[in-house]
Amino acid sequence: MSKVLDIRGLTKIYGKEKANQVTALSNVSFSINQGEFALVVGSSGSGKSTLLNMIGLLDKPTHGTIYVDGTDTSKLNDGQISSFRNKKVGFVFQFSNLLSDLTVLENVMLPIQMAGTSKSREKAAELLGAVGLRDQMKQRADRISGGQAQRAAIARGLANQPALVLADEPTGNLDSVTSKSVVKLMKSMCSTLGQTFVVVTHDQEDFGDVDRIIQMKDGKAYETMVRGVRA
Amino acid sequence: MVDYRLKLAKRMLFNKKGSLIGAVLAVTIGILVLHVNFVIFQGLYDAFIRDLTEYSYGDILVTDESNLIEKSDTILINWFSRIPDVQAAAPRFSSNGEINITKSGGMIETNRVPLLGVDPIQDIQASTAHKTVAEGSYVFSQNSIVLGSSIVRDLGGVRVGDSIEVGVVNRWGQDEVRRFIVSGIAATPGGQGLDYSAVVHIDTLRDMLDRKGYTSSIMVKLHDPTKAESVRDLFLASFPNDDFVAETIEESAEQQLAGFRSGIAMINMIGYFGMMSSAFAIVTIQMMLVNGKTKEIGIMRSIGARRKDILVIFIMQGILIGFIGAAAGTGAGLAYTFYAKETKLTFNNSIPLEVTFNWPQITQTALTAFGLAVLASLYPSFRATRLLPVEAMRYV
Ligand SMILES: Nc1ncnc2c1ncn2[C@@H]1O[C@H](COP(=O)(O)OP(=O)(O)OP(=O)(O)O)[C@@H](O)[C@H]1O
Ligand SMILES: [Mg+2]
Repeated sequence: MSKVLDIRGLTKIYGKEKANQVTALSNVSFSINQGEFALVVGSSGSGKSTLLNMIGLLDKPTHGTIYVDGTDTSKLNDGQISSFRNKKVGFVFQFSNLLSDLTVLENVMLPIQMAGTSKSREKAAELLGAVGLRDQMKQRADRISGGQAQRAAIARGLANQPALVLADEPTGNLDSVTSKSVVKLMKSMCSTLGQTFVVVTHDQEDFGDVDRIIQMKDGKAYETMVRGVRA
Repeated sequence: MVDYRLKLAKRMLFNKKGSLIGAVLAVTIGILVLHVNFVIFQGLYDAFIRDLTEYSYGDILVTDESNLIEKSDTILINWFSRIPDVQAAAPRFSSNGEINITKSGGMIETNRVPLLGVDPIQDIQASTAHKTVAEGSYVFSQNSIVLGSSIVRDLGGVRVGDSIEVGVVNRWGQDEVRRFIVSGIAATPGGQGLDYSAVVHIDTLRDMLDRKGYTSSIMVKLHDPTKAESVRDLFLASFPNDDFVAETIEESAEQQLAGFRSGIAMINMIGYFGMMSSAFAIVTIQMMLVNGKTKEIGIMRSIGARRKDILVIFIMQGILIGFIGAAAGTGAGLAYTFYAKETKLTFNNSIPLEVTFNWPQITQTALTAFGLAVLASLYPSFRATRLLPVEAMRYV
């Protein structure tokens, strides 16, 4: 079973001056296999978003290395980082996922167009069909509901068949019914497409059985469950 | 398929109507101001040249270094009539004198009136001075006189058919007085014509001054005014032994025009400064656009947009603003110019402007405005690329 994500000794310290430095991540190491559904849980301020941002190369670690699909991401230059974000990861955030100036379809087409791949329209339409938004495709992205927006964001996250889909509290802004359906969508995308998910959440119960749980506490990571077995 | 960056640039701009209109208006107004300036001030300048050419200087004015031309005007006029580029040439004789009229209330006199002697047949071919006669007719006989409207006023009102006396001091220092019948009254908008002069038959004036055969100037009208310099040179080369002075309108009217020209240059410069402030307005508006799109820029970066792509998106907005603004401004400017030309727009209700479409200048103005708009977008676009994706996500 191949490691799609391998994190070694990851440390992130915010702030330049000693006095007001915050250690958001402290010597974090773990790995995730291809096709797993992993949760990152922990109290507010424990470093979950920081961890996800590091994995997605939205920010640079202070120490440590992150291997994605076997690539040492610390060796990438600016252009390669953009291409990595485009092809290797798909992001789903809690808020403001979609560009409100575009339609839902155009939002999903965007990463495919950036990758320079052909048939972006067909692929995006197919994905939107799979997440149940066939009828909302032509809507402007700010004219759909929160749950629909998260579905669209998931479709966009899957657009380039990335190594990882990173979701930071994707259901944090949704009511419980909608939230459950979005969780169900992600889990089905994981099982049917074999797509690896790393999801930050405060509502662990909503997810039921998952492959792996990373518990964050004061910037440290503890694996509390691996392949359905409590550690 | 349209590049996604162009699509995003367009949508983000067109969905912010206020900013779009503001930025486009800045460019439009910058251009329109230059067009209006051009129509009015260049129009005024060209109108002065037109009137000076038509009424006083011709396309070429021949004079003599020593005040008066001694050579027979017939020889000179004949010489010019053989040059294909020449439309007509006419002799003129200038002097000054006093005019008086006796009415029931007594005698009214006015001094130092410019007197212009013309050849009635030749003058109407080389000059449009005769067209400025608003009432009555141009000089047609040895004792008819045309008075400028200003002199008419000085004399307390004169009507066509009235009899007046003109006095001059002849070459021997003796007073010479003749009686004339007013044949016409000349008036031009702006007073550029013969409003301050009195026009008589050239032979009468020569006779009064005892200057038979002398001429003050020869006014030459060309079919194509751009040939003025070559005709002038040909003329001077053909009469090497006479002390003739031959000048194009630009040369003969240089004193009147030089100040005017620098005024126009200054006004244009102010216009270009106005355009620069339009550019600063665009910088401000685009900075607002960029700041309002922090979140979107973060999303784009997180799904793989390179810094270069962000730069391109916002520069494309600058190009769109510049293009629409330049098109609208040029359109509005041309419409105004067209209106001014069709309605024979006048300056301060006096002199009719000489309105032209100066295509090189129109193109240059449009390109400058467009270029400035694009240039103005560089800094905001660069700032957009400096936004970190993770910072951008922070704003909900
Ligand atoms: N840009 C930053 N500059 C300074 N400190 C930061 C920055 N981002 C996060 N932190 C700090 O790092 C720590 C971890 O923050 P992080 O956002 O990763 O927590 P989290 O687990 O995602 O919390 P939440 O559940 O509230 O989203 C916190 O103490 C936070 O204040
Ligand atoms: Mg967080």
